[in-house]
Amino acid sequence: MIERFALGAQIAFQPLSLLMMLLGVAWGILGGAMPGISGSIAMALLLPLTFGMDPAVALMMLAGVYIGAMYGGSITAILISTPGTPGAAATVIDGYELHKKGQSGKALGVSLITGTIGGIASVFILVAMAVPLSRVALAFGPPEYFALGVFGLALISSFVGRDLVKGAISGVLGLILATAGTDPFSGTPRFTFGTIDLLGGVALVAGMIGLFAVSEIFTRIAEGANWEQVRGKYRTDLPTLLELWKLRVATFIGIVMGTIEGLLPGGGGAIAAFISYNEARRWSKTPEEFGHGALEGVAAPETANNVVTGTAMIPLLTFGIPGSNSAAIMLAAMMLHGIQPGPALFERTPQIVYGLFVGMLVANVMMLVLGYLALRPSIALVNVRPPLLYAGILGLVLVGAYSINNSMFEVWVVLATGLVGFVMRRYGFNILAMVLGLVLGFMVEVNLRRSLLIALGNPWVFFTRPISAALLALAILTLLWPIVRQLREDRRARAVSAASAPS
Amino acid sequence: MRRADLITGLALLAFTALYAQQSFLIRRGFASDRLGPAAFPRLLALTLGVLAVLLVVRALAGRSDPSRPPAIRGGPFAAVLGLLVAYALLMPRVGFLLATPILLGGVIYALGLRAWLTLVGTALGITAVLYIVFARALHVLLPMGVLR
Repeated sequence: MIERFALGAQIAFQPLSLLMMLLGVAWGILGGAMPGISGSIAMALLLPLTFGMDPAVALMMLAGVYIGAMYGGSITAILISTPGTPGAAATVIDGYELHKKGQSGKALGVSLITGTIGGIASVFILVAMAVPLSRVALAFGPPEYFALGVFGLALISSFVGRDLVKGAISGVLGLILATAGTDPFSGTPRFTFGTIDLLGGVALVAGMIGLFAVSEIFTRIAEGANWEQVRGKYRTDLPTLLELWKLRVATFIGIVMGTIEGLLPGGGGAIAAFISYNEARRWSKTPEEFGHGALEGVAAPETANNVVTGTAMIPLLTFGIPGSNSAAIMLAAMMLHGIQPGPALFERTPQIVYGLFVGMLVANVMMLVLGYLALRPSIALVNVRPPLLYAGILGLVLVGAYSINNSMFEVWVVLATGLVGFVMRRYGFNILAMVLGLVLGFMVEVNLRRSLLIALGNPWVFFTRPISAALLALAILTLLWPIVRQLREDRRARAVSAASAPS
Repeated sequence: MRRADLITGLALLAFTALYAQQSFLIRRGFASDRLGPAAFPRLLALTLGVLAVLLVVRALAGRSDPSRPPAIRGGPFAAVLGLLVAYALLMPRVGFLLATPILLGGVIYALGLRAWLTLVGTALGITAVLYIVFARALHVLLPMGVLR
């Protein structure tokens, strides 16, 4: 165990790794600060640049972006009441009130310090949970992995977004997209429409950039989104130890809620932040200050969204199931470098896993320093007008897509998936479910066929093995739950209307 | 969203039909694989078909989500899309260094910015940064087109 951390530290403290992480964290803070660029979009935009890197360095850099973006999002949340990332939406409530009282610097300082505390705590939680869980995952065979993939897709389809039918359609569409190309099992080409371009499958990276980033830019352009400029000069005002001690309950709540939400697929930073905010108010000695500029109201959500950066890696590293947009991009980066998450990753390439663990600790410290220094550049970037910002992002997307294979095919994929994502966002479909289908398609299909091969074609193999049976049962329950809830709501609505109707 | 659900449902059904039809063009894989390369896609086609029918039936029964998506500014969006498609078609021939500033300037103009100095400066500046990062630092072979 200790040798493995030493090995990880060796990788993480190489000058190149440190430099890339520093760039990643800086890019994350700047991107996170800009409304319209969430952590996952900032990561997706950087993905083509990580091709040539050592896989461990690429993952550390992307984790750095994720960590930095969580703080960056709070800058605009506090200064112009516009969350830079969804994870900072809860920070607006009290952060902006503090800004109106002239305490912007203090709010930023609390966000930075509690975010760092949350981020560092989450790495310890990550190590404490991922390492034992990876041993559990050793007991998984093809039927279990098939069942786990189905369960993950069912969870995302039914809990993210409100519409189960549209969520399921999104997930299945992703799986369908993943089937195009060379059949992973027999090597037979399928759904290629006779072109060579599609033999390698729908380029995963290009598809993710399109679905996550381009669709967001398209939506903003179409809806004419705009935001305020930041006026005046600000500096980060770090809290004193005494002030920090008063925030201990809120910070602790943020750590607990961030851990729980990070583990659940579809949770992500935004939900964790809102739940922590509510719980912090409930447990506060001065709940009446919430909504009127309470520092606790900044500390709780900002701790929670940084905790998610670590805990979201747990299901990803141990089972290969990403629970959030950012984790899905980490998975894509792993697949690009031919790394399969799961127990084998911990055993065969400990330098990648433990490098990531140590790297995330380092990245959190970098966030503390850079967050303090990068406030002015972040504000300058926020004040860039939307047309210029969108032009810059589109330029980066197009060149990035081209650079994946030195071909225009990926550029077309990015534009097409961007348009599909735009339509999906508009009409209530579920982009995360589609991306998850796209990244898990291979795993689900291969393990389905492998299981049947081992079981000599007997489909009961999925139900006679306890873990896979339990996972499939959970998947079915997850899909049935929204239907049951709907029926109950309908019945209640009918009962109410019957009671109020004149007899 | 009733009409939108109806249209997307029907479009998905058409897509399902095309996908299912394509699955019959796949050649069979090796014999020991019981399912073969077409079985999983057909299972997906069946699932998508059922879900699409559900979406259509729900829309016809008037049980769709009644909320409407936000209004859009069609003009600028269509202009940006047009520019992007033109770029994807022409960039390999025209070359990166010439096509990119034109695209970016066009996007900025289409989105309503009229400060010419900023427009030209940003379009050229972004192109220069992208060129330095991708062509110089990462050695991506960007099409040079007419400038070759």
